[in-house]
Amino acid sequence: MIHDSIIRDRLVTGDKTAADVTRDIARPILNKPSSAWKIGFSLSIVFLGIFVASLFYTLWTGIGVWNINKSVMWGWDITNFVFWVGIGHAGTLISAVLLLFRQKWRMSINRSAEAMTIFAVICAAMFPVFHMGRVWVGYWALPLPNAFGSLWVNFNSPLLWDVFAISTYFSVSLLFWYIGLIPDIATIRDKVKGKTEKAIYGFFSMGWTGSTRTWARYELVSLILAGLSTPLVLSVHTIVSTDFATSVIPGWHTTIFPPYFVAGAIFSGFGMVATLLVVARKVMNYENYITIGHLDAMTKIIMVTGSIVGIAYLTEFFIAWYSGVEYEQYAFTNRMFGPYWWAYWSMMTCNLIAPQVFWFRWARTTPWFIFIMSIVVNVGMWFERFVIIVTSLHRDYLPSSWVMYAGSLTEIGLFLGTFGIFFTCFFLFAKFLPVINMAEVKSILRNRE
Amino acid sequence: MSSNIKYWKGEEELSRDPKFLAAQKNEFQENLPLDEVFNENGVELQANRRDFLKYFGFSVTAVALAACSKTPVRHAVPYLVKPEDVTPGVANYYRSTCGGCSSACGVEVKVREGRPIKIDGNPDSVISRGGTCAVGQASILSLYDNERLANPLVNGSENSDWAGIDSQISEKLKKVAASNGKIVILSDTIHSPSTLKAIESFKTAFPTVEHVMYDAVSYSGMLDANLADFGKRVLPTYRFDKAKVVVSFGADFLGTWISPVEFTKGYSIHRIPTVEGGMSKHIQFESNLSMTGTNADYRFPMRSSQELLYISSLYNAIAQATGGKQIPVAQQGELAGNAIKKTADALLAAKGTSIVVSGSNDINVQKIVNATNVLLGNYGTTVDLTNYSKQYQGNDTSASAVLSGLNNGSVKAVIFYNTNPVYNNNKDLWTNAIKKAEVSVSFASSKDETASVCQFVCPDSHYLESWGDSEPQAGVYHLTQPTIGHVFNTRQAQWSLLAWAGALPTVEKDPFAAKGIFSQKFKASPYYLFIRNNWSSALSSDEAFNAALEKGIAGNTSIAVSGPAAYAGDVTSLASAITATSKANGIDLVLYQATGVRDGKHGNNPWLHEMPDPVSKVTWDNYVSLPKSLAQKLGITEGTTVNVKAGDVVFNNVPAMIQPGQANNTIGLAVGYGRTHAGKVGGSIEKGYDTIGINAYNFVSNTTGNRSYVIHGVTVEKGDENYHLAQTQTHHSIEGRDIVKESTFEAWKKNPKAGNDKPKPHIYTIWEKAEYRKDGAPNHLWSMAIDLNACTGCGTCVVSCSIENNVPVVGRDEIRLRREMHWIRIDRYYSFNTKNEALTREKEIAKVDGSDNGEYAHWENVEVIHQPMMCQHCAAAPCETVCPVLATTHSSEGLNQMTYNRCIGTKYCGNNCPYKVRRFNWFRYNDNDNFDFHFNNPLGKMVINPDVTVRTRGVMEKCSFCVQRIQEGKLKAKREGKSPNEVEVKTACMKACPANAIVFGDLHNPNSEVSKLYKNERGFTVLDELNVQSSVMYMTKIRNNDNV
Repeated sequence: MIHDSIIRDRLVTGDKTAADVTRDIARPILNKPSSAWKIGFSLSIVFLGIFVASLFYTLWTGIGVWNINKSVMWGWDITNFVFWVGIGHAGTLISAVLLLFRQKWRMSINRSAEAMTIFAVICAAMFPVFHMGRVWVGYWALPLPNAFGSLWVNFNSPLLWDVFAISTYFSVSLLFWYIGLIPDIATIRDKVKGKTEKAIYGFFSMGWTGSTRTWARYELVSLILAGLSTPLVLSVHTIVSTDFATSVIPGWHTTIFPPYFVAGAIFSGFGMVATLLVVARKVMNYENYITIGHLDAMTKIIMVTGSIVGIAYLTEFFIAWYSGVEYEQYAFTNRMFGPYWWAYWSMMTCNLIAPQVFWFRWARTTPWFIFIMSIVVNVGMWFERFVIIVTSLHRDYLPSSWVMYAGSLTEIGLFLGTFGIFFTCFFLFAKFLPVINMAEVKSILRNRE
Repeated sequence: MSSNIKYWKGEEELSRDPKFLAAQKNEFQENLPLDEVFNENGVELQANRRDFLKYFGFSVTAVALAACSKTPVRHAVPYLVKPEDVTPGVANYYRSTCGGCSSACGVEVKVREGRPIKIDGNPDSVISRGGTCAVGQASILSLYDNERLANPLVNGSENSDWAGIDSQISEKLKKVAASNGKIVILSDTIHSPSTLKAIESFKTAFPTVEHVMYDAVSYSGMLDANLADFGKRVLPTYRFDKAKVVVSFGADFLGTWISPVEFTKGYSIHRIPTVEGGMSKHIQFESNLSMTGTNADYRFPMRSSQELLYISSLYNAIAQATGGKQIPVAQQGELAGNAIKKTADALLAAKGTSIVVSGSNDINVQKIVNATNVLLGNYGTTVDLTNYSKQYQGNDTSASAVLSGLNNGSVKAVIFYNTNPVYNNNKDLWTNAIKKAEVSVSFASSKDETASVCQFVCPDSHYLESWGDSEPQAGVYHLTQPTIGHVFNTRQAQWSLLAWAGALPTVEKDPFAAKGIFSQKFKASPYYLFIRNNWSSALSSDEAFNAALEKGIAGNTSIAVSGPAAYAGDVTSLASAITATSKANGIDLVLYQATGVRDGKHGNNPWLHEMPDPVSKVTWDNYVSLPKSLAQKLGITEGTTVNVKAGDVVFNNVPAMIQPGQANNTIGLAVGYGRTHAGKVGGSIEKGYDTIGINAYNFVSNTTGNRSYVIHGVTVEKGDENYHLAQTQTHHSIEGRDIVKESTFEAWKKNPKAGNDKPKPHIYTIWEKAEYRKDGAPNHLWSMAIDLNACTGCGTCVVSCSIENNVPVVGRDEIRLRREMHWIRIDRYYSFNTKNEALTREKEIAKVDGSDNGEYAHWENVEVIHQPMMCQHCAAAPCETVCPVLATTHSSEGLNQMTYNRCIGTKYCGNNCPYKVRRFNWFRYNDNDNFDFHFNNPLGKMVINPDVTVRTRGVMEKCSFCVQRIQEGKLKAKREGKSPNEVEVKTACMKACPANAIVFGDLHNPNSEVSKLYKNERGFTVLDELNVQSSVMYMTKIRNNDNV
């Protein structure tokens, strides 16, 4: 038995043995689905249905079924896109950046965070794809050879950068996630009884033997991928922010956007991770793996990034005033006191003010409270994107073109529907794959008799 | 040498293989696989049952699948015999006369492959002088209206047999005439000499015929006043081009009054500050904020019911100064700010070069207007009764007499020609009366309100299918010629009248038939022969007639010199009438014509409904415009409704609009809406289409003989329902932004850069100027200049552009969602004036609101500016850099081009456009039942310009500077061997503009008009601090007033 550190709490509590870990974590995969899972999954399918129906209606009739108009040409669609991409940030941050920093507490949450990243990026991708007026020729945005029927693309356009940024991010995240899964899939392979299951898990475990050599290579690949994906954490949202920052629209044309967007993304990503894990640890009895210590660490990150975002909001205002540009000044006053004041103040309350409660220990260690706060954070971040996109567009340069915009039922349906995609994927993931990295968690057990 | 070369097909031939050589002799060198099919047993399949079923099943499935995909069938039928004057792809232009209203502007019709597709002004016409109005532009679509009657109607059912109908009608008419019953032809104003002659022939055949002219929007009061004062029941011709001071009492002469195109042409000349003799001064008194009012230098809100009072004060002030006879009234009317006194001073300073006009239909008002113009010596200079106008001649009294004649049975037969009294009057006033007639005939081209109650409907042809002539001014003749064959089985009304009278010229007299010019199939219309005969003395030879036809005009081709008029009026007797003018408080309802729909005749024209009102920017509805003070009192906000009650006429839940500039204690309402039998677009009870707005003609009273459009003492209260008007602009103040620049004439005289002298923003760029933009570059550099002083905001360009560029109509609901597709729009900004300052920011206005005891004087005294806005074709266009697929790029001639085929519809360009001029195809607007306008039926699609793509769903579009016209112009110059500098291209907006406000051209041509305007001190570009380098130069608006 190894002595516990006196300055650090145990990362896994409950005196778990390696066998316990495997048993606990593989249990949902080996057993029949619980009724909680069934209910949750059915609900997700319903939302997925809403998405499919809304999307079908949009594609069949035309983008006109949304309420975007001659001035506000991006509305809920791109708001949702940035929202989901932002959520997709925590996964890579946790697995890559924290890996490089040797933060071992990440081990019990990185798997689900990475899964969340992938599902969130899938949800996010729906919007830039289907907001296109002619989605059937959307592949023209790819730099394909002319012989393919498309022509060369415009490398000046931030939308094209998006295409590269998001597809790179998605593929690297997926690869990283999958590499991390291999030892665990092998464990499952060895545990499952059915022939088919064995074959499938066997295929995806890629012949994992657990030899020292494989482990060494596994560690090395993880490190390389972590190195590769770390800049991606910064680049994806930086590039998403350039969609706005490179434009001429007051409220968009801002150099502060890249760092501010990245901070916001981490903020919302951790918010989403907290939402999921607070529930998962309870429902799946993982309190010993995802401990209060984890929640405490995550809420600290939420508080710090929330404050960074808050400072960015205030800086924007200062610069708008300091610039002396009347359009810029109007855009920001309009955010605060214009017709969309409610969106602005929701954003301020949820993102800047609310996370400050995490200065208090109680707030950081009370799961139900963290759950509520994590929802608040993501509501706030949705509003942030709405404020940036809609309030800037609805009143820009020429007052003659000033308009109001409110999402249509279809737009709302698509947004709710992406939660269907997200949770359907997540429930399937929770059922068929280990939500905690068993192999890695075993390395941080203190109980190694 | 070459003949010695031997080519061989294969090795066998080279090696002279005997087998090959033998086979070579046969036609088919190898046996055809016929044996498999045919053998001794006849036809036998070498497949067993299973194979058969396999093939059969596959074939059926394949056929079924293939049948599932609907391949569009497109017909492209080439000319078997190419008409001599039709070259596919090349337009023909024919001169004609616009039939949109009685003004009868000369037009030039563009015809492509036999289809008229565009109307523009005839530069040789003294009425239009090359200009058009929105109604004229849009009237081409009425030709392709598939709800026009395809056949005559007899008692409501279709009957294609014209001959049978002719005999029925003429027999019935003969019977009526024999019993000495009156036959009335009730028409709108007819000034066509040939039509009048046809009516004369009709009168000869039926001696009891009476021809009564009657206009829905009547000028009867003015005509009667002229009859009393000058002995002529005519309207004068106004020479706005000679007027230095224009005073208008409620006359919307730039928008709807008498001959708006003619007046705009004249008026706009003197609005340019550089014009010789200086800029004119325009003073407007009115209740509703009319388009003309928005252009006035001084605009004074006035209650229309008290017009007589104010105009007599003005008269007295002028009479006092000139020594004329004063009207002995004790009380003089005066408006805030000594408006009357100031106006009198301005008029006296411009004696002989001023105009006083009034839009009132009150004979007393018009008599004083006449007397005022006489005192000012305007007759013979600016007001011309020698070459008087014939554009409106209707007589309300006679029309009332027809109605009572129908009711008392003295009028036994009635023929409606181009008039719709059932719609134009209080509800059932005419319906029952018409039913009493023994014979009722309508010439309406669609089953309108009046036609629905007539026994016979003999549809008149559209003016683009017709022969005709007209005399809008004494001595000015315009000719009308058909530009297309009959779309439907319609017939010109004149032809019908002549047929019933038995006076049709016979084909034997056809001069062309004798020469064999027309084959039997394309027989000349008998009415053509009639006109030809009618002009036989003035244009005796074919050459002369054809030359006149080519020009579109006969008779005067220049503006005739006016002579003085003998005034025999006396206004002093009007004292009692003036004293009796109600000074009581109460609310005036002031009816007006909307600039688009006008009197309602074109109620089924989607372009006119979709055109935003120049002032309120409302589309697809009429509404009650209220002053802020009244709205505040009644608790009316945007989106609510009002109940209006005048006598026993009540309309509940009429959409309300708080209209800046609306005079306190007055409300406005447009006529021309609420059509119940217009059709799919305009509303039809019969066919189950919602009516558009309410029929304000119900309020028109003609108790005093002449129709009155001002109703005093109406009750207004808040309605129960809410209603969202479809407006294309909902923010009305400019928020203090430097988007439009303006100054005053006095300041401009001192400094021609007045209002435009702010230092240019410092812009640093690391980029070199593009090669093609440098001076002296060998290419064109297309640019535009718009003079805000000339632009009246009329919206003609909006309609013209939509026609030229196949811009779809999207309808009310889409405009509510802010998705109008117009490529050009006219931004209209109000500045609210308090005592000393102009308020242009929403917040400032709200601060002042309610601070002056509910008077809201700043809402009454607004200044308005119109700014046409279209794609600015920026040299450094923000839209171009953000498109991921390069669908929008820059041409080396300075055009910002949109490649529809390449667009994938990310809409990023639209977001990044600082001018918000990009329009997205949210739906497929053609062949879509949700957009059931002209793009949804084959006939309506005939109006599509074949040179411009009809855009599909999901792509962005915008103003192209009429790139198709640029290309045409360049090709033409090349073909004619001209230098590129001589390329003359006119965009659709420029060509349509009646005020010559838009100039388009090549900036690299130093002599082009646009190059000159770019050097003008008034020139500025919008948002130049963004360094997008716009290609549209605006000229600072100069107002001839003393405002700051």
